[in-house]
Amino acid sequence: MKYLHLVLRSLFRSRRRTLLTVAFLAVSVFLVATLQSILATLDGFANNPNAANRVAVRHKVSLTNLIPMRYQDWIRQQPEVEATMAIQWFGGIYQDPRNFFANFAAEPEPIVRIFREEIVEYTESEFKDFLRDRNGCIVGKSLADKFGWKVGDVVTLQGTIFPMNPRLTVRGTWKSKRQADEQVLYFHFKLLEEGVPRIAGRVGSFWVRAKNADDVPRLIERIDRHFSDALEPTQSETENAFQLNFLKMMGNIAAIIHSITGAVLAALLVVTANTMAMAIRERTTEVAVFRAMGFTSLQVLGILMAEGILLSLMGGVGGIALAWLGAGAIQQGIGSVIPWLADFAIPTETLLFCLHASMGLGLLSTLVPAWRAVRRPIIEGLRAL
Amino acid sequence: MNGEAIIRCEGIAKSYFRDSLEIPVLQGLDLEIPRGGYFALMGPSGSGKTTLLNLIAGIDRPTGGSLEVCGYRLNDLDDDELAGWRAIHVGFIFQNYNLVPVLNAFENVELPLLLQPLSRAQRRARVLEALALVNLEDRMWNFPRQLSGGQEQRVAIARAIVSDPRILVADEPTGALDAKNAEEVMALLERLNQDLGKTILLVTHDPKAAHHARVQIHLEKGVLDRTVEVNR
Ligand SMILES: Nc1ncnc2c1ncn2[C@@H]1O[C@H](COP(=O)(O)OP(=O)(O)O)[C@@H](O)[C@H]1O
Ligand SMILES: [Mg+2]
Repeated sequence: MKYLHLVLRSLFRSRRRTLLTVAFLAVSVFLVATLQSILATLDGFANNPNAANRVAVRHKVSLTNLIPMRYQDWIRQQPEVEATMAIQWFGGIYQDPRNFFANFAAEPEPIVRIFREEIVEYTESEFKDFLRDRNGCIVGKSLADKFGWKVGDVVTLQGTIFPMNPRLTVRGTWKSKRQADEQVLYFHFKLLEEGVPRIAGRVGSFWVRAKNADDVPRLIERIDRHFSDALEPTQSETENAFQLNFLKMMGNIAAIIHSITGAVLAALLVVTANTMAMAIRERTTEVAVFRAMGFTSLQVLGILMAEGILLSLMGGVGGIALAWLGAGAIQQGIGSVIPWLADFAIPTETLLFCLHASMGLGLLSTLVPAWRAVRRPIIEGLRAL
Repeated sequence: MNGEAIIRCEGIAKSYFRDSLEIPVLQGLDLEIPRGGYFALMGPSGSGKTTLLNLIAGIDRPTGGSLEVCGYRLNDLDDDELAGWRAIHVGFIFQNYNLVPVLNAFENVELPLLLQPLSRAQRRARVLEALALVNLEDRMWNFPRQLSGGQEQRVAIARAIVSDPRILVADEPTGALDAKNAEEVMALLERLNQDLGKTILLVTHDPKAAHHARVQIHLEKGVLDRTVEVNR
């Protein structure tokens, strides 16, 4: 600690060189941290789909064609099936079209079971109130917070697809593992059926939950075959069918990001090593003077290493700070367009990786020139002018 | 020579090696310097003055002979022990001062004390004392580039004495100074010898500077040529 002033002053001996190096380090670490965080966030979605055993059943022609409710009776009886739920995209607007969020009319009883990966934390009594109140709704916590809704508040949705404006009483809220899953509102499908008589007995889709993820392909095949000759044939697919495609693409993105990271770290090593080699070479005589005064090789090495590590840590912390600031921008800017990035954040592992990488970089880049400097005979150092 | 010898060289030999080529510099040199002595080491350029000084100060090792300084046989100490020994027993004064440019006068003088188990307050007291000795207390917040050559050398002398070593080695300390500043530095060394009892080994080829010493020893072709007591 008593050497801190010495280390700091030496570090800023050549202010320009140090600041340039720190700036270069910071920008590079920012780049690495951001890329790695994007990768981690996308990975989170692709590798951990909320439910691998959830199947969506809809009309073969399109999502806007409705299918008969009674199909559900047959589906429910299949041995692989754990639960089913009719659900309809309502697409209602709250006050202003810009307040976009997902809202569905759904059969209320199975909601918690079908969406147990999303509806993680909720109050039993609130959800019972919701089941009892045909004009009730449940909303994700972060959505409720966004509009300041409390249990008991009345939320009026303005129908866009259906000619009705339901007045819904918030009966409960829930929390999810990730923000994106809390941006949803559900109300009773019965309310929609009553308000829009023409859809009676029909619905946009069913969510079917298989008991076992392995049964999903067989179940999909069986459902679609069973209804293939019906007037309204179905099309079923897994929730992460899309994500599987996505995963393939991800393989490439990951490879690119990893090679960029590697290249950036290598460039950083060269730049830092060069800075430190220059900083140490300039001080050949000084190192010899320190040792003549009685500092041991190890003590001088320690001082030089502290300098190198501090230099790269300054860059690393600066870069992480930049990435952290940038993360907010990405989450709010790009995240509102690309749902995958709505939960974008710098994961702790990425943060630690960047800290360790910059520390390791400082260590590596300083060790060789510092070691050579302190191994050099004192008298040679004193003669080098 | 009277008094107990603080520096004792017996049959000291030193050769440098360049690409397996042996360059003999010192060849079987004997020398004793008593405690409190003030010796000027003189001789033509390349005669091995700096080499001998470096051996005695423990920053280089002889290729032959035995070296005893301040009661330690330096031949027997390993590198770290030698460093610890230097920290306690020797103060260095260089021709080009060798102050650390990013530290001010106070911090430069404080450096050797960082190696000792002293509190910040204790270090401060010792630094102020050393700076007072060289008469530069009013310059302690100045950085080397804000000081004249003479002042820089005086700061360097304060740094050399701050840990109270028994021996001071000075290799051409006035080599870079004008006559007036050189005279000031020499007067300062003389005071350190007389008032504080420091044993001083001074390398110089300036007869005026050498005149401040009590004994002049002449080195010629790797051996001591003659020893002259300075009469004043
Ligand atoms: N590190 C070294 N390697 C090779 N030769 C050296 C080295 N240091 C000094 N010498 C040679 O040793 C001789 C004595 O040098 P030095 O002790 O510096 O002389 P002085 O100080 O009397 O001028 C010179 O010939 C010099 O070239
Ligand atoms: Mg010399």
